[in-house]
This record gives sequence, structure tokens and C-alpha cells, in this order.
Amino acid sequence: MGYHSIIYIFLFLPVCLFVYQLAPEKWRGRVLLGFSWIFFYLLSGKLLVYLLGTTLLTHCIGIWLTVIRMQEAKAVEGLERKQKKAVKMEYQKKGRRVFALGIFILLGILGYLKYFDFFTVNLSHLFGHPVLEGWRPENLLMPIGISFYTLQAIGYMTDVYWGGTIQAETEIWRTALFLGFFPQIMEGPIARYSDVADTLYTGKSLEYRNVVDGYVRIFWGLFKKMVIADRMALMVNQVFDHYADYHGAVILAAAIGYVIQLYMEFSGCMDIIIGSGKLFGICLPENFRQPFCAKNPSEFWRRWHITLGAWFKAYIFYPVSVSGLVKKWNQYGRKHCGKHITRLVTSAIALFPVWVANGVWHGAQWNYIFYGMYYFVLIMLGIAVEPVRDHILEVCHIDPETKIWRTIQIAKTWVIIVVGELFFRANGLKAGWYMFCNMIKHFDAGQLTDGTLYTLGLERADYLAVIVGCLIVGIVGSMKEHGIHVQKKMGELAVPVRWGIVLCFDYRYFNLRSVWGWISDSRSDLRRFLR
Amino acid sequence: MSKIKRGVLFIVILAVFLLASSVGMECYVVHQLNGEVTGRNRPFAALTVEPEDTLDLLVAGDSESYNSVSTMRLWDDKGITTYDCGQGAQRIPETYYMLKHAFKKQSPKIVILETNTLFRDIGAVKSTQEILTQAGQYYLPVFRYHNLWKTVVDEPEMHTNYKGFVIRDEVDPYEGKPDYMKKKKKCETMPEYVKVYLEKIEELCEKNNAQLLLVSMPSPKNWNHKRHAEIQKYADGKGITYLDLNKKVEELGLNWTEDTQDKGDHLNVYGGAEKVTSYLGNYLEENYELEDHRNDPTYEAWNQLAKQYKQNLARIQGKIEVAKETGVGK
Repeated sequence: MGYHSIIYIFLFLPVCLFVYQLAPEKWRGRVLLGFSWIFFYLLSGKLLVYLLGTTLLTHCIGIWLTVIRMQEAKAVEGLERKQKKAVKMEYQKKGRRVFALGIFILLGILGYLKYFDFFTVNLSHLFGHPVLEGWRPENLLMPIGISFYTLQAIGYMTDVYWGGTIQAETEIWRTALFLGFFPQIMEGPIARYSDVADTLYTGKSLEYRNVVDGYVRIFWGLFKKMVIADRMALMVNQVFDHYADYHGAVILAAAIGYVIQLYMEFSGCMDIIIGSGKLFGICLPENFRQPFCAKNPSEFWRRWHITLGAWFKAYIFYPVSVSGLVKKWNQYGRKHCGKHITRLVTSAIALFPVWVANGVWHGAQWNYIFYGMYYFVLIMLGIAVEPVRDHILEVCHIDPETKIWRTIQIAKTWVIIVVGELFFRANGLKAGWYMFCNMIKHFDAGQLTDGTLYTLGLERADYLAVIVGCLIVGIVGSMKEHGIHVQKKMGELAVPVRWGIVLCFDYRYFNLRSVWGWISDSRSDLRRFLR
Repeated sequence: MSKIKRGVLFIVILAVFLLASSVGMECYVVHQLNGEVTGRNRPFAALTVEPEDTLDLLVAGDSESYNSVSTMRLWDDKGITTYDCGQGAQRIPETYYMLKHAFKKQSPKIVILETNTLFRDIGAVKSTQEILTQAGQYYLPVFRYHNLWKTVVDEPEMHTNYKGFVIRDEVDPYEGKPDYMKKKKKCETMPEYVKVYLEKIEELCEKNNAQLLLVSMPSPKNWNHKRHAEIQKYADGKGITYLDLNKKVEELGLNWTEDTQDKGDHLNVYGGAEKVTSYLGNYLEENYELEDHRNDPTYEAWNQLAKQYKQNLARIQGKIEVAKETGVGK
């Protein structure tokens, strides 16, 4: 049951809304939890135990950490400063051990299920003989969404461990709902506890505005997914799965096609997910913010899969940035290497683990790791050439805020995105490299007009639908970028105009066919009459 | 209150638009295209434009059905008008709505249901999804035909078919066990949703005065005694006639090295479907009262189509003979 399936949108959601509304306010959160577990069970069957296990562990660790903190507070009461420090240290050590245990178990399960085979296969290659063979049964399945809920669980534990930002949950259903809320469980967004706690548990009655806005968002997502992404997928799969049969411009077209497919699919899915939350008045964090308006790779990642980037920033980048190693380097670097080099190395130390993690998180394949490193290198290059670039701009009297300069930067970012996604989608790193070289060496724009494009599973009409679809999404995105709320604007229009737009949008197919039919009928009538 | 009114009004307007465009699709666009729709909805569209009350027999089911019953052979031998409304991997909710759709304009005397589709177990979620999809598309055909707009831009590529039957002349021998129907004690059970829809189909046929006939077309790859036993038990319990042609392979004269197109999954035209259909024609003649329309001028189009079919078949036979002589094409 995918989020775009009829059964989810027209059966699961309505039934869930109905039961939710009937339940007393106090129980509504538990109703959502019940439906979440049913949803997970329907997707993954018995693998639900992994989610239940993670929930129990996360909840217990949260409480354990809180208890330690309370014990610490009690123990230091009335002590002198020196003694206080010693007692505190002891409790902090205890807390750290509990926290490490939690993280170790969570990462252990994820690592074993998702990365073990990759690890052993590569070690076997390295050593020339099988390593740890049979340590992971071949038929052992991985529950859907494990990469998402594990990150949420780690985030929650870390926030509790750090203290200050959040309090550990005392009721287990609340932790369970945070980790397993059904719209998020398959594709994210990876929420931090503090992002959703305000609205997740309120059990508010359904509201007209929320239901309308929620369903509008869901249908917008469906449009992106079904009209654009599903079409593109046919062409993209054909080229990427038979990459040796295609050359130059066709590969470029497929790479661009994949960027379109991925964005429409992923952001469309997010629209359905966030819309689903909205129905119940629950605000889930946004995951995309017009990523194709980004001027550089860093900005792209602040607009694309935002919650993943934010998670890495909070739980990897910041801790590394304030770690002892970086502090020491900063002191040393400033004295000996100059400001720029110090900053460059500091960034590298903090960003390297972020981008390794980003690559690895996407899957246990070398091309994903390459994908992470690709962005790491590009971002580092960006930082490295910054002073030179600024100097050139100054000498040439170019204002970086002018439209032309911004357009050039956006175009450059598009190139970076397309190349990155080419490697990301390719069937392995070797295939990716082959496609990349082929794309450049054998590029000929004529390949786009010689009819090859129509042999990839899409007809002319499909390309037309994709182009029109992208234009609509692009216009809406650009309006959003300029602070115009499209849905609100639509709401302000007169009812007939609104319906007119909806009809043009949804029934253009039918209208097109009928109008065309009417024209050709009249044409043949006219011809007969003239004869 | 005004919000509820607005909500209701919205749903009403939406429903009116959906219904209007559905009616427009089925009554105007599909006719305008003469039912020539590519892909999965082809039989639905074709049945929409088929002249009223002209079909004696409907054959429903998955690919086993339309690969086995040659409509033109039945016409040529017995003057029976048949439509193969099966589709690849058709599941029973789709079969049900296909028949419901066919009964709108036709009053066939017999409905043959190929039994392979009765064992398509897709689990609770997918079967619910299938039921919702099929019901939605039946009541609001605008969803079924939503892709027809493409015909404005691209000319559809139609493959010749003879009232749902497609000529498949490939030969790929079955090399498995010849006694695939060996008796076993156990039955394979039909999934629950299949039973529900099978009953609905029975009711539908009864309401429309059509007799339901369950037929298992010969297919060593898909059929076995466990399935036979289950259908036999079901048919006996309900008093439905059941004909398992897998039990009559010798009587039919089937030769598994020549009569299958894909290693015993489906029959091919010249060896398999023709033999099976000839047998089926005799069986129908013996057991049912069906009118011979061959000399009825209103059915002239059928004669024309049958002529075309026979010409095509002769061409294929020629090809096969040449292939046999030269040893090419095997």
C-alpha cells in the first residue's frame, strides 16, 4: 500500500479520519498509533517487531537518561563545588554509557540489516577469500522505513541526552507515535521530536480547513507522481538499465529525466505525506523548498531532502565542529596556517563525516558513497575558491546579486545536480562512469531528434504531458519562491473561475479529445458539404 | 453550517462533472474511436461499440482464455458469435466488471469463465485495491479512459484481433512432465476474494439468463490436479458445469512439442487454439441450443472477418510448413 495508491487515499485515510473523529479527544493519539501499526503491518507483516523493538528501546533509554539526570540532581544537592563536580562527572559518565548503548544497538541493527552484505563482499574482495560468510541469512528481510525511524530514534535519544531541548516521554504510546506515525514511516520526513511534539499529540477535532488543505496537498502530490514521475520512470529505466545501447544526448536526456522523476516522485510523495498529517491538524516538517532555485550545492541541500540535511547538521556536523579535535586544530591553524586554510580544514573535518553518512544512508552501494563524496568535494571546492571568486567579482565589477549572475549560478547548480543524479541512479559506479564518459564523448544533439526518444517507452503525447506538468509545477514553485501562496490565491478567485481552472487542469484530457473530435467532425462535414 | 454546505456543494459539482465526462467518454469518445483503444481497456472499449444483442458467447478470464478460444473458428464451424473479453493476468474483480459491462448491451446465452484466474492470490491489500479500482473505473469510466487524450497526438498502434482473439503463431515446446494432471489427494484452495466474486458472477449470469460454464484450458505450466479438484468440488457443490480440457489432451490431439507458444504456458493458434476451439464448438452444439447465424445477413461482417482470419491462418500454416521442411524457426 503505497501513499499514492487508491487504497491509501480513498479507504485507509477516510476510515482513519472517521475513527479518529469518533474517538474521545484523549484517545485520538492512540487511534493514530493503532492505524500506524496496522499500516506498517500491511506493508511489512511480522517485521513490525523491529519497529516495536526500536520503540521500546528508545523509550527506555529516554527514561533511563532522565532518571540518571534526576539522580544526579539529587546527589549534588548540598554538596560543595569541588565534590559537586566529581559527582556530576560520574553521573555524566553513566549517562554517556547508557546513551552509547542505545545508539550502538540501533546502529547495530541498521548496520547488520542494511550494510552487512556490502561490508563482507568488499572485505572478501580485498582479502581474496570469503569473509564472515553466512553471518547474515540471505532471506533476512529489512523492514520498510528502518533508515527513517532509526534516525528519528537516534535524534530523540540524543536530544534527551543533551538535555535542555526536550524532556523524555513518560508514556510509551507517545514515543511509539513519534517513531511510527503512518504517513512518515516509509519516506520521512525525518522529524526531530521538537518539530512535531506540539501538534502530534493534541487529538484536535477534525477541522474543515485542515481537511480541505490536506486533501488539496495530497492531490497535488498525486499529480506530480502520476502524471510526471511515473511517465519519466519508463524512459529513465529503459536507458539506465540498458545503458550500453544508448549514447551522448540520449544519456543526458535520461539523466535530466531522472532528476525530474526523482524530484516529482519524492516531493510528490512528501506532499501526500504532509497533506495526510495536515488532515489531522499535524504539522510535519517540509522536506523540499524549490531546490532548483539553489545557487550552489550547499544551498541545494538546504532545499532538497531538508530534514535529512538538518539531521546530519544537528547530530554530526555540530558535534564534530565543537569537538576537541576541531578546537585544537583551530588554535593551531590560526597561528600557523592563516584564516582561510584554517576554515577550509575545519569545514573538511566537520563535513567529511556528514557526506560519508549521506552517501551511505542512501544505500549500501559504492555509487551512493561516490554521490556523497561528489557533494563533499564540490562544497569544499566552493569554500576553497571563495576568496578568489570574490576577488574576481570585485575586479570585474560584477554584482553577485544581479539577475544574470544568479541565473548563471543556478544553471551551474543544475549541471552539478544532473551529473550527481546520473551517478546516483546508475546501476553501479562503473556503469555511472561509463555513462558519464559516453555522454560527453558521443554527444550529438541530433540524437534527440532522430526518433530514439520515442522508442524508450514514451510517446509524443507523454513527453507533452511531462513538459506541461513540469511547467505547471515550475510556475507554482516560482510563485512560492516569490512568497505567493498559490492555494490561498486560488481561494480568493470567484467560484466559476476556480472551477474553470480546475477543469482545465483535470479534464484537459477529456476536453482535448472532445474538442478535437468536434473539430475533425465539423471538418469532414464541411468537406462533404463542399463536394 | 455554511462550511458543510460548501463541502456538499463541492462534492455534488465534482460528481456531476465526473459523471458527465464519464458519459461523454463512453458514449462519444469511445464510439468516435470505433472502440480501437490500445492496452488493457481494449476489450472494454470494443464491447462498448459492438452492435447490440449480437453475441452468443462471452469468454472471460486471463491470458489462457483469449489464447485458447478462436472466435472465428467457432463462427466458421458453428455460426456462434463469441467475444474473447479476457485480458492478460485478469483478476476476478476485473472479470466481474467486464461481464457487467458486457451485459449492458449484450444478452449472451453462455459465459465461459477460464479457471486459471480463480487462483490468482494477491493478498488482502492488493485485492482490496483491485476491487476499488475496478468498481471506480466501472462507475466512472473517465478514469478508465483517462489516457485517451493521447490519441489526439499519437495515432494508436492497433494489432489485428478477431473479436478479442489474437493470432499467436510462435512455437516453443513444453518439455516438462507429460502427466501433469496426475491425481493428488490435496486441493489448492481458491483465495477468499475470488470466492466472493465468483458468486457475484454466478448471480450476474443468472440475472441475465446466461449459463455459466467453467472451463480449464490446457496449460501444463499453470494447471494441475490440485486445482482441478478444487474447481470440480466447487462446481459440483453449486451445480455449475465444469469442463477441464487438461483431462482431454489426448482426445483433443494436443501435441506439446508443437501446440504451445511458450513452453506450455499458452496454446498457439494453429496447433492449440484451433483444436481446442473445434472441440469446444462440438461440445456447445451438443449441450446447448445456440442459433447458427452464418446465413443471417445482419452478421455479414462476421463472415468477412472470418475470411480474413482464414487467409491469415493459411499464410501462417505455409510459414510453418516451410519452417518444418527447412528446419528453420524452431
